[in-house]
Amino acid sequence: MSTAAMIPTGLPADPDSAPNSGVDPNTDKPRSDFKRTGRMTLYVRRFFRRPSAVVGLVMLVILLFFALVGSHLTKWAYDQPDFTALSDPPSADHWLGTTTGGSDMYALIIRGLGRSLSIGFISSIAITIIAAFIGTAIAYFEGAVEKVGMWLLDMLLVVPSFLLIALIISGSTGGNDWIWLIFGLTAFGWVGYARTLRTLTLSLREREYIKAAKYMGVPAFRIILRHLIPNLGSVLVINTVLGVVSAVNSETALSFLGLGIKAPDTSLGTLLNNGQSIILTAPWVLLFPSIVLILLTFSVQLIGDGLRDAIDPYSRSAGKAE
Amino acid sequence: MIKYILKRCFNYVIMLFIATSMTYFLASAFMDPRSNYMSRHPHPPIASINRSLDLANINDQTPVIVRYGRWLTGIVTRWNWGLSPEQSPINGAIAPRILASVQLVTVATVLSIIFGVSIGVYTAIRQYKWQDRTLNSIATFFLVIPTAVLGLVIVYLAVSMNNGIGQRIFYVTGLHSYSGGNPFAWFLDLLQHLVLPTIVMTIPGTVSYHLTQRTYLLDTMNADYVRTARAKGLPLNKAIRRHALRTSLIPTAVDVAFSIASIFTGAVITETVFAINGLGSYFVQAIGDNDINGSVAIAAFGGVCTLTGALLADIFSAWLDPRIRLS
Repeated sequence: MSTAAMIPTGLPADPDSAPNSGVDPNTDKPRSDFKRTGRMTLYVRRFFRRPSAVVGLVMLVILLFFALVGSHLTKWAYDQPDFTALSDPPSADHWLGTTTGGSDMYALIIRGLGRSLSIGFISSIAITIIAAFIGTAIAYFEGAVEKVGMWLLDMLLVVPSFLLIALIISGSTGGNDWIWLIFGLTAFGWVGYARTLRTLTLSLREREYIKAAKYMGVPAFRIILRHLIPNLGSVLVINTVLGVVSAVNSETALSFLGLGIKAPDTSLGTLLNNGQSIILTAPWVLLFPSIVLILLTFSVQLIGDGLRDAIDPYSRSAGKAE
Repeated sequence: MIKYILKRCFNYVIMLFIATSMTYFLASAFMDPRSNYMSRHPHPPIASINRSLDLANINDQTPVIVRYGRWLTGIVTRWNWGLSPEQSPINGAIAPRILASVQLVTVATVLSIIFGVSIGVYTAIRQYKWQDRTLNSIATFFLVIPTAVLGLVIVYLAVSMNNGIGQRIFYVTGLHSYSGGNPFAWFLDLLQHLVLPTIVMTIPGTVSYHLTQRTYLLDTMNADYVRTARAKGLPLNKAIRRHALRTSLIPTAVDVAFSIASIFTGAVITETVFAINGLGSYFVQAIGDNDINGSVAIAAFGGVCTLTGALLADIFSAWLDPRIRLS
């Protein structure tokens, strides 16, 4: 994140705002008794001051751990059914039970969790990158470009994106379908977000440093890359994290409807779909993926809320001077 | 005002036309109705496959622009949205399903607005007190639960409850099962079917209106005009009700208008969980059958919902907010 021209944080550690700051005006160097708190330290400290954010982070780290190494902790593979144990309840052998086809639920959930995590994070990051470029570019060029661009964005929002994603991934077959899902979520997910970013850029483009750069002859693309996007940094970080939640939700919804990830691959939504029909005879097939999904989305949401409070200068987690 | 609305309508009709056409080309590129026949063993003769695909105007050997021309002419001149791969008309299939979806969605929407806005106001007035913190945590929790998980968990609880009591209180599939002539029994039957899907759709709606209404009210509660009202001696409750709440309802009204389309997509999951034969389940079926005409018709209907919402939002904000000028 750029340190230039950020919004003042209003903290006593900021040397420009406090009249008795530790800066010697002659040498312009901090005095020895004055220690400036770095921006990142500040963010980290504020983030960890929120118990819910820490809980979210711990939950996500545990989930990541299981997604990465969880498959080595069991002797069963997700695509290797055990025909001696069909629809078995949780036991010492199959920790989370088995499906009607004899697949180990633990192995399936680990695999599904990995899929959901990668789809969520990759598509959310891709959406942020595309939306940041297009949103700021539309606002920066003003005039006709802005008018036409906004009209096009509005037009792309007319048909609900969920339907369009379902349309293009329906033809994908097993194996590649998760890549198509990421593609679909990204291709139709950035539009609304680009609109929001354009609104935020409107006030940014009037700032002096943008004007100065423009009149110095800095190319438009470099202004967008160097000045506009870094100054939206906090918004982008927060929205990338919260975007993971909505990407995971969309993935779950599509796979649940049988349109997303299909067998032999699996995801948490696909597992819910399998568990739906055997809800009474084998509830564990439904219950465990549900719990993992809730843990995943809830932890990411808590982290996102914590980040918002840590990065947002108007947040109250900085404490009040009373 | 009329001129402004007409101008907006004209713009929206053009948008809808382009968006629907784009969806048509997208669907034609990605869906393969021929595979419906080719996957059968043994597959029917190629000539007969071509004939049935031609009848539905979805033959991939005809150039897509020719198919598009025929499709568009059919809609413009005869309001005919084409045939499914099984040669059944799309028009006749969609109309009754819209009714089922509307039946399902209306109650849930009204309830979530009422609950959501009231809880939002309640928590905003008690910002950072324990009521606010508790309700906010609950709302965040429900906000992130995927609809499928929520629906299935509620089905599981309801079925266990039915089994525990030994009597069917809740029905978890369909909208009707009573076929007699007693209107009271018919209504009771509808209620028994409608309660669970309504709960599933009301919870996410309520928490999102709660969180946004809370933010909007907090924004206006510290506004100058509310402080002036307080300084003149108006009690806090009255100042909030008369001055802050009114302005904070404007963005909520806009949100409600815009939510028309998202309600419809949210219903896809609920309809699948509860086996309700609405628009959402029709869409899933159309995608599964490679039904190009059917899915484009649904997308067009979704587009109409979005734009109706956008138009309502324009009108609401122009009407409620004196600061907006219509030039």
